[in-house]
This record gives sequence, C-alpha cells and structure tokens, in this order.
Amino acid sequence: MPCPHAAVNLTPRPLLRLRAHPLRIALVGNPNVGKSVIFGRLTGRYVTVSNYPGTTVTLTRGRATVGAEVCDIVDTPGVNALEGALSEDEKVTRDLIKDGEAELIVQIADARNLRRALMLTSQIASFQLPMILVLNMIDEARARGVDIDSAGLSDELGIPVIEAVAPEGRGLAELRDALTDAGVPEAARGTLTHLQWADETSRRFRTIGPMSLGRFQEWLGRAVREPLTGVPILLAVLYLTYLVVGVLGAQTLVGLLEQGLFGTYLNPWARAAAAHLPSALVRDFLVGEYGLITMGITYAIAIVLPVVTTFFLAFGFLEDSGYIPRLAIFSDRLFRAMGLNGKAVLPMVLGLGCDTMATMTTRILATPKERLIAILLLALGVPCSAQLATIMGILGGVSFPALMTLFGVVLTQMVLVGFLAARVLPGDRSDFIMELPPMRMPRPGNLLTKTGLRVRWYLGEAVPLFLAGTALLFVLDRFGALGMLASAARPVVSGLLGLPPRAAEVFVMGFLRRDYGAAGLFRMAHDGALTNVQAVVALTVMTLFVPCVANFLMIVKERGLRVGTAILVLVTILAVGTGAALNFALGGFHVVF
Amino acid sequence: MWSSDRAHPLSTLRPGARGRVVRVQRDLTSRAERLAALGVGPGAMVRVLQTFPGIVIECDQTELAIERMVGGSIWISLE
Repeated sequence: MPCPHAAVNLTPRPLLRLRAHPLRIALVGNPNVGKSVIFGRLTGRYVTVSNYPGTTVTLTRGRATVGAEVCDIVDTPGVNALEGALSEDEKVTRDLIKDGEAELIVQIADARNLRRALMLTSQIASFQLPMILVLNMIDEARARGVDIDSAGLSDELGIPVIEAVAPEGRGLAELRDALTDAGVPEAARGTLTHLQWADETSRRFRTIGPMSLGRFQEWLGRAVREPLTGVPILLAVLYLTYLVVGVLGAQTLVGLLEQGLFGTYLNPWARAAAAHLPSALVRDFLVGEYGLITMGITYAIAIVLPVVTTFFLAFGFLEDSGYIPRLAIFSDRLFRAMGLNGKAVLPMVLGLGCDTMATMTTRILATPKERLIAILLLALGVPCSAQLATIMGILGGVSFPALMTLFGVVLTQMVLVGFLAARVLPGDRSDFIMELPPMRMPRPGNLLTKTGLRVRWYLGEAVPLFLAGTALLFVLDRFGALGMLASAARPVVSGLLGLPPRAAEVFVMGFLRRDYGAAGLFRMAHDGALTNVQAVVALTVMTLFVPCVANFLMIVKERGLRVGTAILVLVTILAVGTGAALNFALGGFHVVF
Repeated sequence: MWSSDRAHPLSTLRPGARGRVVRVQRDLTSRAERLAALGVGPGAMVRVLQTFPGIVIECDQTELAIERMVGGSIWISLE
C-alpha cells in the first residue's frame, strides 16, 4: 500500500502563496459539533452559538489571517450526510462544496461521535478537496470515557487530525498551523459503504472505557425526557421563565423604567425642554401624543426593552442547556396531528424569541409541506418575545383566567389551522427522527454575548421602526387620517370586536412590529382605556394578527410573494374572526374576568 | 421470551433492551438513508432508553428520539 503521506509531503509548502483571491475554507461537520464556535475563534466574528442541531441554517462568511495569509472562512449549516436525502439547510452546505466554493475543508467533529464524523469524512473525501479533521469537545469525550488515538487516525487518513476544546481556544493554534498540511483523506473505497468504513475505522482508533464524569448530566438528560419527571420539569421551566420575563421583566423592570425613569424624569424633562421650541408642530412631533420621545422612545426602551432582555436571557439559557430539543419527544404526537413532527418544536419555540428568525429555522424541517405549515403557524399564533411579555404584563394584572383564555384560544386556533392545513395542503410529513444534544451547563460568557448581541439587534432594528412608526402615526394624525381610519375600521373594531375605535391604530402599529402594537395596547390598558374583556379580545387578535413587516418579508423570501400574500390574508381573516367569536362568547356568557 | 437469534422491530422492545441492527426496512421514503446518516444502519449497536411518550434510543454516542413507525422499520437482534 502506498504511504498515504507521500502525496502530501512531496508537495512544496511555501509560507506564502500568491493567489488570485484569498484561500476559501469551509467549516463543515455534523450538526451541533461547534462549527460556529470555531468560526468565531478564527475570524473574531460572533455567530449565534447554541446547544441544538440547526442553530446555523445559512452560510456565514468571515476573514481570518493564518500565518501571513488571509483566508475567507465560511461557517456552514450542520450536515449528517452530503449524499442522498438532504434537508434544505443540508443542501446549502452540499451546494457550497459541490459548486467549488471551498478550496479547503475543515471538518469539525464531536470527538465522542467519531463514527458519525468519519461517515461524513468519507463523503467529503469524494469531492477530492484537501481537508483537516478537528476533534472538538475532546474534554467531554474523555470525561465520558471516550479516548481517541489521534496520531494513529491522522496516519491512517493521511490528513492532520487536531484535538480541540473550542470554547477555551484549545487546539486553535494547532489548527492554524495544520492548514498547510491539509490533504485528501483515504476513505471508503470499492464495495465498502461509508458506514462500514466508518464503523471499522472508528473501532480501530477509538476506545470507550468507563465514564469518569458526567453522571449528573446523564441523570438530568434522562429526567427531562421521561414523562414522570419530564412533565413537572417542563411546568417548572415554564413557571421560572414566567417569573423572569413576566414578573421581573414585564412588571418590575417595566414599572421602574416606564413610570420611574421615563414617567418621572425623562419625559417631563423632554417636555420642559421642548417648551422652549418656537414651533408647536415640532413640539408635538417630539413630545406630543404621538411624539418621538414620549411615544417612540418610551415604547421601545421602557416597555419592550426590559421584556426582550429578560426573555433573551432566559431563552438563551434554555437554548444552551440542550433542553429545547427534548420537548420534541412530548410534542411529537400533537405536531403530527398538524402535519408536522416533533422536530417542529424548534422553530415554534424559537418563534417565541422572534418569528422572523424562526421562519428561517423552518429550513431544518424535511418537506416543503412541513415548512409551509410551520411558517403559517408561526405567522398566525406564536407570539414573539416582546408580544408575549406585554401579554403577560397586561393580562397578568387582570387575572389568571384571562391569561389562560388567551393562550387557550390561540393554541386551539393553531391546532385547528394546523389540522386543516395538514389535510388541505398537498405533500407529506416526514418521519420524526431527531438527535438529542447532551445536556450542558450553559457557559455564562456565551449566554451574555448572545443576549447582548440580540439586545443590540433589537435596538438596531426595533428602535428605528418604532420611531418611523411614531412619525407615521403623527403624520396620519395631523392629516386626520387616523380619525378616518378609526371610523372606517369602526364596524370591525367596535362592531365585531367590541373595542374602542382607537384600537384600530394599535393594529396598524402591530403590522410595523407586533411588539410595537402590543406596546400600544399596553399603554391603552394602563390608561384605563380597555376593559378586561376588551384587553383579552384585543390581545388575542393582536397575537393572531398579521406578522410584522420583517416577518412578512422573510416569508416572501423563503416561500415567494404568492404564499406570503395568501398567509397574510388568511391570518387576518382568522384573527378578526376569532376575535369576533371570542368577543361574542365572552359577552354571551357575561364573563368579566 | 425473546430468542436472540430472531430479529424484532425496535418498536416492540422494552426500555433497557440492547441489540444489533440487522436491517432497516427500505421503502419509498428516505427513512433508511436518514437513519444511516445518523449511524443507525446494519451492524450498529443500539440501546432502547425510553418508549413513552416517544421512543428514545442510544446508538453509539448519539441519543435519538424517533416515532413508533420509524422504530417499526428497524429490526434488531437482541444481545
């Protein structure tokens, strides 16, 4: 047998090569093995890192300097295979490699899962590109009694094999050094399948001994998925999240900011300062009823920001713990009735953070039908973080039954629509087969970075829209259009839904951003402009109501304008219809909450 | 009760059962392919961890949640 090293070693390796463009390196690997962490370490760019398969569903590009050379690095969605049946996010990665957009592949592997990693190595090898194998999370592997003969494996494959613990930066220097040694690996040949080759190779270079650590992890992983312990844990998780977001965020912090900081100091100061302005129009524009400061900034910073921040914190913790995918076991049956499978729990739960992002995550679902149903349900019923918290903020103050009525109605509506969509839409659902990531204690560093970036993203995206929305309302109000809108919408808003006519403008705001509309309702409720029943009806309609502009644009991007418009129309009709029915039912039964 | 030389569908096994995959039924869907990509193919060792509300198995170092129907097409010879 020829020495596998020959081909590699005989090639001259100059320190600096002249290239027409920077060397293009793709980070490829199974889902949830730490590609994004390594990407961040190499390029200095943070991409969202979580503990579930499918965090990355698009390509992220960045630059790194290795030695004296500048390289373009691409972070790719995780793949279990590059051949055969692939999900949409897997195709993104396959196409990148197939189209020759990568000249060098760095395969990242979860060291424990060497066998599956090698199956992928074998498939990458068929593209005949030079590669390196990184055995990430080598510390966790050792703790679980998995030991790998990296040197032996490197000799066998004819490529560098690097051991790494990416979050601590271990192995990164070795990876940079090894880039010049990359080679095309020896892999499955002839009649040997990828699986057989990986089986045999992993058996030769990996030993699995008794576990030395991770007993608690193991226990927790079991406790959360078994029904007897899992259901109480789920309830506890929901309750704790409610305490952090609904009580600490939506009540305590919002109270401090809205009534304290803005109500007592900032807004009175702003009004006093604006009183010196000569123009009444400018004064109103800044501090009037639809003032940029008194409405736009106050909504964005005092009402929504505390809620979004506490939510992202709680949510990031759950993401990094590995808990969310385990919910799929409990929800699989329910989702199957809706033409989906348990895997859909990921986009649905992510939708609680932001429906726009979650719409993109539907790529992890296997069939077009499933993606469409998931996108529809996200647009219809899943309230985003800010909305959820304003709901809790308003209805928490009303009564528990009020809150339960809203969630009950919205959930029932989603199940009904999903059930019908599953029967009406053509196509199939796919099998429920889902990998469960290990339970881990979230790293505070990642949690804070992630929350910080998400809050910054919120501020960058929401504040301008809040301001633009306020300016729009101001202009509409000046030209009397708000009054016209309110009277035009009166038959629906007051007649069908039984709400004050002013609620019409809140729904307009809701289309700009759901949380903006929700904040408007929050204000109305605070001002005593809504009865309890009206609050429940208005919030139910707002929750079911059209997705915000960003979400709509994302739906159009993912599924086309026709589908986007259809969803928009359908959701609007459903929202108003449900609100009307609810208003009628609550009135009929004389419910006052 | 089970004879070890006979193969059983995974969906009929109890928690704690261990065995080797004999075959994965092929049909018109990509089920077998997807399972193989996750390491569940002929020759692989699997252990049943849980059967309710869904089936959870361990194959090599991977924990997988699967629905009953998928479990029905994985044939296991018990050890």
